[in-house]
Amino acid sequence: MTSQYAAELCALLVEDNFGELFARIFSTLQRYDRLSLPRLKFYSRLSDRQLRHGLAAMIQHHLVYHYTSYDDGVTYYQPNLQAAYYLVRSGKILEFIQERLGKYAATLMATIMFLGHAQVGYLETLPELQPEQPKTNGVNGEAEGEKTEEQMNGHDEHSEQPALLHPTLKALASHGYIFRVRDAQFQSYADNALDAERAIKSRPDVKQLKGKKLDETVLEGTVTLLKERLDGDLTRGLMHNGLPRGAKRRHANGSMDAPNKRSRVDYAADEDEEEEENEWSDDDMGGDTTPMELGMVVRVNYEKLDVALRNRRFLDLAELSSSPATRQVYECLLRRIEYQTKQCRDSAEIPREGEEGEQYSVPIALSALTEEVDPQLDLTGSIGPMEISQPVNRRGKRPLEDSVNGTDRDGSDAPSRTYEIDQHLSLLSQPPYNLTSKRMLSGLITWTVEFRHLARKLRHLELERMIEARYGDVALRVIRVLHAKGKLDEKRLQEISLLPFKDLRQVLASMQAGGFVDLQEVPRDAQRQPSRTIYLWFYDPDRIRNSILEDTYKAMSRCLQRLRFERNRLKEFLEKTERSDVKGNEERYLSQAELTLLDQWKSKEALLLGEVARLDEMVAVMRDY
Amino acid sequence: MASAGPSGGSVTELAARLYDACLNQFPSDHLFYQQDLLGLNLVPKNDLALLLQCTQSLVNQKLFRLLQGKNDRLAWKIISREDAEKLQNLSPDESLVYNVIHSTGRSGIWVRAIGNRTNLHKSILDRCLKSLEGKSYIKSVHNVKYPSRKMYMLANLAPSEDVTGGAWFTDGVLDENFINSVAGFIEYTVSRKSWYEVPASDGPRNKRIKTADGGMAVKHEGAPKEYLPFPAGYQGYPTVPMLTGAVNESGITPVRLGEESITQLLEMLCYDNKLVALNNGEVYRSVKNPEEVKSQQARKPRGDDAGIDDRLVKNGMTEAPCGHCPVFKLCAPGGAVSPESCEYFDPWLEKALGF
Repeated sequence: MTSQYAAELCALLVEDNFGELFARIFSTLQRYDRLSLPRLKFYSRLSDRQLRHGLAAMIQHHLVYHYTSYDDGVTYYQPNLQAAYYLVRSGKILEFIQERLGKYAATLMATIMFLGHAQVGYLETLPELQPEQPKTNGVNGEAEGEKTEEQMNGHDEHSEQPALLHPTLKALASHGYIFRVRDAQFQSYADNALDAERAIKSRPDVKQLKGKKLDETVLEGTVTLLKERLDGDLTRGLMHNGLPRGAKRRHANGSMDAPNKRSRVDYAADEDEEEEENEWSDDDMGGDTTPMELGMVVRVNYEKLDVALRNRRFLDLAELSSSPATRQVYECLLRRIEYQTKQCRDSAEIPREGEEGEQYSVPIALSALTEEVDPQLDLTGSIGPMEISQPVNRRGKRPLEDSVNGTDRDGSDAPSRTYEIDQHLSLLSQPPYNLTSKRMLSGLITWTVEFRHLARKLRHLELERMIEARYGDVALRVIRVLHAKGKLDEKRLQEISLLPFKDLRQVLASMQAGGFVDLQEVPRDAQRQPSRTIYLWFYDPDRIRNSILEDTYKAMSRCLQRLRFERNRLKEFLEKTERSDVKGNEERYLSQAELTLLDQWKSKEALLLGEVARLDEMVAVMRDY
Repeated sequence: MASAGPSGGSVTELAARLYDACLNQFPSDHLFYQQDLLGLNLVPKNDLALLLQCTQSLVNQKLFRLLQGKNDRLAWKIISREDAEKLQNLSPDESLVYNVIHSTGRSGIWVRAIGNRTNLHKSILDRCLKSLEGKSYIKSVHNVKYPSRKMYMLANLAPSEDVTGGAWFTDGVLDENFINSVAGFIEYTVSRKSWYEVPASDGPRNKRIKTADGGMAVKHEGAPKEYLPFPAGYQGYPTVPMLTGAVNESGITPVRLGEESITQLLEMLCYDNKLVALNNGEVYRSVKNPEEVKSQQARKPRGDDAGIDDRLVKNGMTEAPCGHCPVFKLCAPGGAVSPESCEYFDPWLEKALGF
C-alpha cells in the first residue's frame, strides 16, 4: 500500500475529509514516515498548538499511529495509510449497513465513523442519535460525502421508535461491524509485533531456551500475544445459536432486508415492510435488555465489512448466470458464512498466483440453510427439469423430484424443500464460477465457499474486463488462452486461439506495449541468435494486478483532483449557495440559471464521486479480497 | 517342399511363395518378425540362414522393406507388386530418397532433412526429387508450421493435421470466415440444448408460479420465451461427437470435420466465454440462452457499435477517462498533462450527464 499514487490518494482523501491541517500533518508524515514531534514540527512548519490539536484528533481517527519508544522515551508518529484509504469506502459501508440493519444503524455507524472511535456513553448523549429529535443535518456532511448526508437526513422517520441506541449497537457489534478499541490498535503493526516479541523474550521460561527452539517459541508467542492485544471482537457474547442479534427474526418470518427486498419487489409487492424496518430490535430485547457498557469505546471494523462487501460481489457474480431465486439461496449461505468469517484472508498480502492454497469457509449445514431461506420463495420455478429428451434417469433422484414437482406443492414438505435448496446450491457449484462447493461432514450435507478461488476469479474478471475494453474480444481470447496454458510460442498460440497470424501479432504487440503480456526469449544455443531463439508469450496476472492497482489509485486521485478543480471553477457561485441564508432556501434566493447550474454541479460531483467509488471497488478486488 | 532343397534357384522360388503367403494371410501393413515368417511353415526345418536368404532376395526385389522393430529386432513389411515395380525402376539414389520420404509417412519431410539422412549431394538430391516428382511418386506439400520449408511426401498420401494445421486452414492460411460460421452454429446448437425452454402452453407450471407470487408470472408472460437452467448433474448437454455430427449434417462445411477439429473449436469458444466445458470437456454448456445468442449473432454483421452490451460488465477503470487515456503515465498535477488541464474529463462529464 506504500506507493507514490497510494500516498497521493490518501493525502487527498484526508484533505477532502478533514481539511488542510490534517492534510499537512499527514503528508509530512507520509513523506518522512516516522517522526518525533520536534522533527514533525520542523518539517510541517506548524505551530505547536496546531500540531498537538491536529495529532490528537488524527489519533482519534486512527489516521496516525504513535509509539513511545522504550529506549529513549520519545514518541514517534507514523501515518496509517490503510485507515486513510478506508475513508473512501465509508459511503459504501453506510449503504450496506442501511440495507442490512436499517437507517438508524447507518446513522449510528456514520456517527462512529465521523468520530473515529466513540465511547458508548458519549454516543448516548449525542442529539442526533436520540429518539425524538428534529432533523439534524451535516453532522458529517462534508466529511462523508453525499451518501451519508442523505441518510442523515432521512433517518428522522424512525425517531418515534423508542430508544434504539443500545439494541442497534448490539446488533452492529454482534455482526462484527464494530469492535472494541484496544490500546495496541494505536500503534503500528510492526511496533506491536516488536513489543510483543520483547515481552515474550523477557519471560523467564523463554530466556532459558536457545537456538531454534527459542525462535519458534518467540514466534508463536508473539502471534498469540498480538492477537490477544489487538483483539477487540465483540461478537462472542452476543451471538446466539450462531446468529447475531437482530438477524434472527428477519429470517424466521421470511421478511428479508434490503438487498432481498429489492430483488423481490417485482413479485412481493404486497409485503409491506417499511413500517417494521426496525421492529426486530424491540422484539429481540425481550430477554436481554441490558445496555452496552457505557465505558466501552467502539470503532468500525473495516476488515469484517470487507468480508461483507466481498460477499456482495459474489452475489453479483451469481446473479449474472442464475435466477433471482438461486441468488437468494446463495445470499442466505453467504450470510451464514459471513457471521463466522472475521477477515477476507489470513495473510497480509495477496499471495502469488498458484502459490495460494485453498481456504474453505466454514461449512454451513444444509438443514440450517433450509430454515434460513424464505419459505415463500418459489424454488421450483427457476430450474428446468432433470430430463427433457431423455427419460432415462441417471441419478436415481427422479422419484424425489417427482414428488416435488407433482403432488405436494405447498412448501410445507420439509425434505423436498431441503432438496430444492440443495439443487440451487448445486447449480451454483458448477463451472465457470464454482460459487459453492459441497462437503459431507459426518454424514451431513454442508455447503462451503472457496473464498480464495473466488477472490482470484474476481481479480481475473476485473483484469479481463480492462483488457476487453482496451484491446477487444480477440485480445481477451488470447489472454484467456495464455492464462490457461502458461507460456506459449506464437504457433501454438495460434492453433489454440484459431486466429490469423496477422491479427494475433497485432493484438499481442499492442498488449505488450500496454504491459499486459510479455515475451520470454529462450535461446537454443550460446550465441543467442534471434533465429535460433524460441519466443514465448506469457501473461502474469500478479504483475498486471499490481500495475493496475497503481493505475487505479492514480485514476482515483485524478478524479478527486479534477473534482477540486471543477469546484474551484465555480468557487464563487458555490460559496453563494453555501451561505447560511441561501442554504435550504435555494428556490427563493437563486435565479433560474443559478438553480440549473447548482443541479449540474451536484450531478457532476455525484458522478465524479461515484466514479471514485467504482474505482474503489476495483481496489477492493485487487487488494483487499 | 522338402524336395526343393536349399539350392540357389529355389531360394527365389521359396521367397516368392513366402511373399504370396504373407500377402494373403496378413494385412498389408503388418510388421513381420522372424517368428511370423517361420510361423508360415514355408521354410523347411526353420532354417534361419535360408529364411535370411529369402528375405534378402525379397528386399532386393523391393518386395520387402527392411525395418527395425522393437528391441532392435529385424522386421519386414511387404510392398505391393505395383509399388515394387515402381521402385525397381528407380536409380539407387532415387530409391534411397524415396525410402526416406516414405519413412516419414503423412507428416512429410523437409528437403534439408532428406539431405542429412541420405548424405547425397544437393545437386544429386535435387535431380532425384525432380525425377520422382515427375513420375508423380512424391509431391511437395505446404507446412503451416514452417511455411518457408520445402517439404515432400508420397504422392498418394494426404498430409496430416500437423502439416495442414487441421481443418481450419485452407492452403496453410487460417480460414477466419469458415471458423466464425462454424463457431456461430455450434454456439447456437449448444445453447439450444443447455437451456430448458418453458413451454408457452404449460398450464400447471404457470399456475404454480402464480400461486407462489403473482408478480413473477406476469413479468414472464410478457417475455417471448423463457429459459431456465438445467439442474446440476443434468445429462443432456451436448457432447463432442453429437456436435461433430450436427456440424457435418448441417451442410455449412464443405469438408467433413473430425472430432479433434470440433474440440479445438469448442475450446476456443470456451476461451471466448461463450461456452463452458463440464466434466473435463466431455460436455458443453452455453453461457447465453438461444434468444440471446440469436440476437447477438444477428447484430454482429451490422456494425460494431452495438457490440458493447455483450462485453463483460464494465468496471471503474474502463469507465473513467483515465482508463482510456493515452498519456495516463505522464499525468501529474501541475505537469504538462494534469488533471486540471485534462481534455478527456469534460467530454466525459458531458456525455454522462447529458448537458
